[in-house]
Amino acid sequence: MHLSSSYILSLTTFVYLGATAIYLLYWIFRLEKVGVLGTIVTVAGFIMQTVGIGMRWYESYQMGYGHAPLSNLYESLVFFSWVTILVYLVVEFKTRNRVIGAFATPFACLAMAYASFSPNVQDSIQPLIPALQSNWLIAHVITCFLGYASFAVACGFGIMYLVRGGARASSSYLIDALPSRRMLDELMHQTIIFGFLWLTVGIITGAVWANQAWGTYWSWDPKETWSLITWFVYATALHARFVRGWAGKKIAYLSIIGFVSVIFTYFGVNFLLSGLHSYGAS
Amino acid sequence: MKTKDFLSQSSIVVRFFSSVKLAIFLFIILALTSIIGTVLPQEESLQFYMEHYGPFYFKVIKDLHLYDTYHAWWYLGLMALFSVNLVVCTIKRLPFTLRLFNRSYMDLGKDELLRRPLKAQWKCSKTANTAQTRSQLLETFTRFTGRPESKGGVDGGQLFLSDRGKWSYWGVYLIHVSVLVIFAGAILGSFTGFKGRIMLLEGESTDHAVQMDSHGKIKKIPLGFTLKCNRFRVDFYPSGAPKLFKSDLSIIDNGREVLKKSIVVNSPLTYKGITFYQSSYQSVPDLKIRITSSDGLQKELDLSAFDRGLWPEKKLMVGIIKYLPNVHGAPAARVYAGDPAGNDGAAVWLLEGHDREVNLGRDSFRLSLVSAKERYMTGLQVKRDPGVWIVWLGCAIMVIGFGIVFYVGHRRLWLWIRQDRDVIEVILAGQTNKNKVSFEKEFDKVKEAIDTQIGEK
Ligand code: HEM
Repeated sequence: MHLSSSYILSLTTFVYLGATAIYLLYWIFRLEKVGVLGTIVTVAGFIMQTVGIGMRWYESYQMGYGHAPLSNLYESLVFFSWVTILVYLVVEFKTRNRVIGAFATPFACLAMAYASFSPNVQDSIQPLIPALQSNWLIAHVITCFLGYASFAVACGFGIMYLVRGGARASSSYLIDALPSRRMLDELMHQTIIFGFLWLTVGIITGAVWANQAWGTYWSWDPKETWSLITWFVYATALHARFVRGWAGKKIAYLSIIGFVSVIFTYFGVNFLLSGLHSYGAS
Repeated sequence: MKTKDFLSQSSIVVRFFSSVKLAIFLFIILALTSIIGTVLPQEESLQFYMEHYGPFYFKVIKDLHLYDTYHAWWYLGLMALFSVNLVVCTIKRLPFTLRLFNRSYMDLGKDELLRRPLKAQWKCSKTANTAQTRSQLLETFTRFTGRPESKGGVDGGQLFLSDRGKWSYWGVYLIHVSVLVIFAGAILGSFTGFKGRIMLLEGESTDHAVQMDSHGKIKKIPLGFTLKCNRFRVDFYPSGAPKLFKSDLSIIDNGREVLKKSIVVNSPLTYKGITFYQSSYQSVPDLKIRITSSDGLQKELDLSAFDRGLWPEKKLMVGIIKYLPNVHGAPAARVYAGDPAGNDGAAVWLLEGHDREVNLGRDSFRLSLVSAKERYMTGLQVKRDPGVWIVWLGCAIMVIGFGIVFYVGHRRLWLWIRQDRDVIEVILAGQTNKNKVSFEKEFDKVKEAIDTQIGEK
């Protein structure tokens, strides 16, 4: 079979699936070697994915309309998955806690599975239509997805927090392996901050791009509006925490709601709202 | 009595408008209500809503302005409340932040130092040269932290403080002010700017843009100069997807060509504050029609689509109803011929190279499509927005503010030294409000350096 970038990228789905399984095993059996294996597999998947993205970039040049692989749904999903793993690896390196992997790698795996195997997603390399021929587009996609990936990881922390909080204090063997509540709370906060910063820059670069292409930096289209809604959710989380002392469970819920809003901004607007609109227009 | 009542009431008002509870409430309300405009089609005709949603919802949509949610009175009202909230809250917090900013951290005693989150303590007896050790310690401390403040007589010793990043307390003000700056830019733009369209055939020029208001009325907006389209080009990928739209434009001001530029999507042209964006195109045919009357006279007319021409001597009018660029490999046009008053006429299809005879009651004419060439018409978006730079300024301030708020901490490092003949006592203490991990690393470095110095003696 011809070794194309989409083939390699579809394989990374399984590598991340493997990583998820290994991190889960590590969580259950707490064997240091299993944990290390989880990291090795994740890093291997990450390298493979990086190669795949690089190849796709190269292939686009060979096809005569080279552009950074950040221009359609497929490519953005791949990039989302890639950044999620990157953010996770940084967190793992900083916290030295591998159980987090069981909550972070599934996001990357699901994104890749959706990109590679859903009939809704075209994996062919397409040339850029005039509106997409802008460096601001690249800046926009990279910054937005740094934000989205951080929010995915923050959502993972939120889930971990609720898993820990739901059980009675230090009741079970599994729960004990999770980072402490204080640490989860802090991690959640840090990743939300990081994501909020990049989402803000993402919205701004998007506005600059729109202004350059159409002369309007903000036109209230559903995608823009949903990114603003997402932004409000995380602004709520930051103010509630900083000023009203909310912590823990409430922030955990907000980080999950926020990520649902991210997903909706990303897919829902394309698949649900555009459907509604076309229905309304018929 | 009355003034007191007034004051206590106004303080309730101030407390309401400055409260973060209100801010959180507004964040949530804005998030929820913003959903409406993404679900309900916006800016359709009122009739559309009547047909699709029935009389009850039609009334709701009309009264709450939901057909244009983001410009509805209540939505703008929420935004205004949000701004007031932000202003009052910011002003109210100023004294608090000033106190925080001006506060000195030199007034701590030994015990308080030992209650800081980071601390280390040394006591070294029989030090040969305490004065030298002391100055070495101070030198180490300075090397890591810059020039410290100092104060004597603190529990019998000397206190040194390196106080950095205090200014980061102002970062959140940058963020909050930036929101207001962005609003100001948007408001300025909406009151002093305009948005319109221009459709220009190659070779044509115009001195105004066209704007369609919500009732479908067309308004002309003068540019103050003339814009000419010299050429338009469109390229396609082999797949048929568009690759490039490009217009070669000239600006003619006071009868002189002052600027010439090619624009493409994402690379507009700006002159005197008005920006022209490439947005679309149309192709318009130029047709040459030859008419031969029954007495052998001939006339040629150059027409474009929907255009009409006259042959006055024969009282004949010819108009193009429809044009197809490719019918069996040749261009074709549906042409009307008749008298100018519009009575007595007929429409025929003309294929290039095939003549057609048209019999009017009084006479008969032979029509022929001599040639058909396509000319492009470029579609430009025209915009004047004096507020846009203020919006960008606000965005820049916001990003800088975020950087400061999230990543610059107020870092305090204290060094306390007491020397007493051959005994030297040292305390190192530290505190920060952000980025605790990297601050801890710095603290550990200073601590290690002091360790080795005191250990050497
Ligand atoms: C879109 C609007 C707003 C944005 C982007 C924003 C952003 C922020 C951010 C990033 C922080 C720092 C949080 C932290 O350090 O974790 C903050 C703090 C704060 N915000 Fe806002 N905010 C907004 C609107 C408001 C409004 C309307 C109020 C009105 C009460 C408000 C009140 C505060 C207060 C009191 C703080 C704490 C300030 C301090 O550090 O002393 N904010 N805001």
